[in-house]
Amino acid sequence: MSLIHIQDLSKHFKILNRRQGLGGAFRDLFSGDYRTVRAVDGIALDIQPGEIVGYIGPNGAGKSTTIKMMTGILKPTAGTITVNGQVPYANRIRQAQIMGVVFGQRTQLWWDLPVIESFKILKEIYRVDQATFDRHMEVFEKLVGLKELYSQQVRTLSLGQRMLCDISASFLHNPQVVFLDEPTIGLDVSIKAKIRSVVSELNRVRGTTIILTTHDLGDVEALCRRIIILDKGKILFDGPTKKVTSLFGAYRTLKLQIDDFDDTTLSSLREKLAGRFGRDHGVTVASIEELWTDVTIDQARTPLSDVLNFIMKTFPVFDVRIVEISMEKVVQQVYEGALG
Amino acid sequence: MRSYWALARGSFMVGLVYRFGFLFSILGNIIYLGVAYYLWRSIYQGAETLRGLTFNETYLYVALGSTVFILLKTYADWEIAYEIREGIIAVHLTKPLDLQLLMLAYSLGATLMNLAAITLPTVLILTLVFKVSIPLGLGLALFPLSLLLALLISFCFDYFVGLLAFYIDSNWGISMTKEIIITVLSGALIPLQFFPAGLQAVLRWLPFQAIYHTPLMLVTRPDQGWETFLPMLGVQATWAVVLVVLTRLFYGQAIKVLRIAGG
Repeated sequence: MSLIHIQDLSKHFKILNRRQGLGGAFRDLFSGDYRTVRAVDGIALDIQPGEIVGYIGPNGAGKSTTIKMMTGILKPTAGTITVNGQVPYANRIRQAQIMGVVFGQRTQLWWDLPVIESFKILKEIYRVDQATFDRHMEVFEKLVGLKELYSQQVRTLSLGQRMLCDISASFLHNPQVVFLDEPTIGLDVSIKAKIRSVVSELNRVRGTTIILTTHDLGDVEALCRRIIILDKGKILFDGPTKKVTSLFGAYRTLKLQIDDFDDTTLSSLREKLAGRFGRDHGVTVASIEELWTDVTIDQARTPLSDVLNFIMKTFPVFDVRIVEISMEKVVQQVYEGALG
Repeated sequence: MRSYWALARGSFMVGLVYRFGFLFSILGNIIYLGVAYYLWRSIYQGAETLRGLTFNETYLYVALGSTVFILLKTYADWEIAYEIREGIIAVHLTKPLDLQLLMLAYSLGATLMNLAAITLPTVLILTLVFKVSIPLGLGLALFPLSLLLALLISFCFDYFVGLLAFYIDSNWGISMTKEIIITVLSGALIPLQFFPAGLQAVLRWLPFQAIYHTPLMLVTRPDQGWETFLPMLGVQATWAVVLVVLTRLFYGQAIKVLRIAGG
């Protein structure tokens, strides 16, 4: 039986249309001008015990809203959702006992107190017995090196240390499922790697089901066999991570700053690239950020070095960065039928 | 229950972290006590009693009132509003905890901290420096119980205003209004005996007097016995039960707004 079962699940929010300016703000006080936002729009999925699932999508895709429905904070507008056979919002307090949650942007630890105090308080909250508590703390010590941080005030921890503590804390009561909502946001590469290894080890040792939402395809590639891509409240793809990474792992984005950039630069860049590499070259051009031109390259079809050389020769480029493909780009490619 | 004790203990410890703030609270309180002393001296102007209270009784009431003020203010309204605005409330709601008991535990921890760090030192200063004598007796013995009930009632008001933040973007204005209403109508500043008779009659039927007037009267009029004190405590306890029930019912409604409109 699946641990989490979701069928035709929707969550719609009514949002007041705000007017501009001071006068508008006053008129808003008496306004009934609402629009409906379909944060989650008819999704279906099943998650088996012990799985690590990557739940990804760009900002506003509905990831956090789904998590909040699974944890019983939000009530669905329509559809069914059960976790361990129970409806989460119907009995929030009982369901909370089998779940662990980490919201990357917030902490469940006591900001002003030493780290160990938060763990002691959580021990009481979840009624963890002393033997289990000691055993788990031992595991965290081995994985994270928690002991060094015991006496440190949470507010003095680095973001990465805090996240490792938060993740450990969410596993303290041996939950059946742990939700990690953006656990690697704002962290540098080495801490990301540490977090990935800790999460994968906790999943392996305890068999805990993990739902991971993230912006970072790298997280999913490292941890999850299964990936669910969400956009605008709908599931675009639900399947093996391999299929996605084999497709997008080869993608890199060249970010260029070009001198004398004007309206014609993008189209002339496109033309010249088509002229040099042919029609089906797997290179796309877009300007998403100000000053930067993004050239996304499918290395399986065209080597990155060739594209870079060509552009450097033909355009007055004064700055270059190479980055992995962004979530937005993946979603765009999926829409265009990349995984179809 | 152990989980809520752990929370209260945590909240108590947070208080310890900010230990230097207490010095200023005590200092501010002492300045107020000095001003109040001369104010009430000049109001009495040699009169033996006013409204049935001697100067000593009135001053004890006012001084003790300002000293327990810090105990009975829970700030649960600010806390809930802040947590909703910052989205921290979601962290609480993923725990197997009742939000009202969680907030009450936080308040209790802070109150115990304030009791040890502000109220007890101020009472010492009151008796040793200002030579105010606190009459020993049955009233004083019942005072802690009455204070606990008062805390529960005060908490319910703060918690209720906090829950309003589920409905509106900012409960700041309502918080301030509540603050003023409670401070004036509960007898936190002056004994209710000094209010016009008509207003007194009305206030007797409202829960506000159960927050400050009841516990303070127990200490300032200790000459009375069980026959006066028992009904006073009975009224307090009734209000505490009624308000706890009402706020619990209101929570059931307020949480629906969050569940439907998003957190």
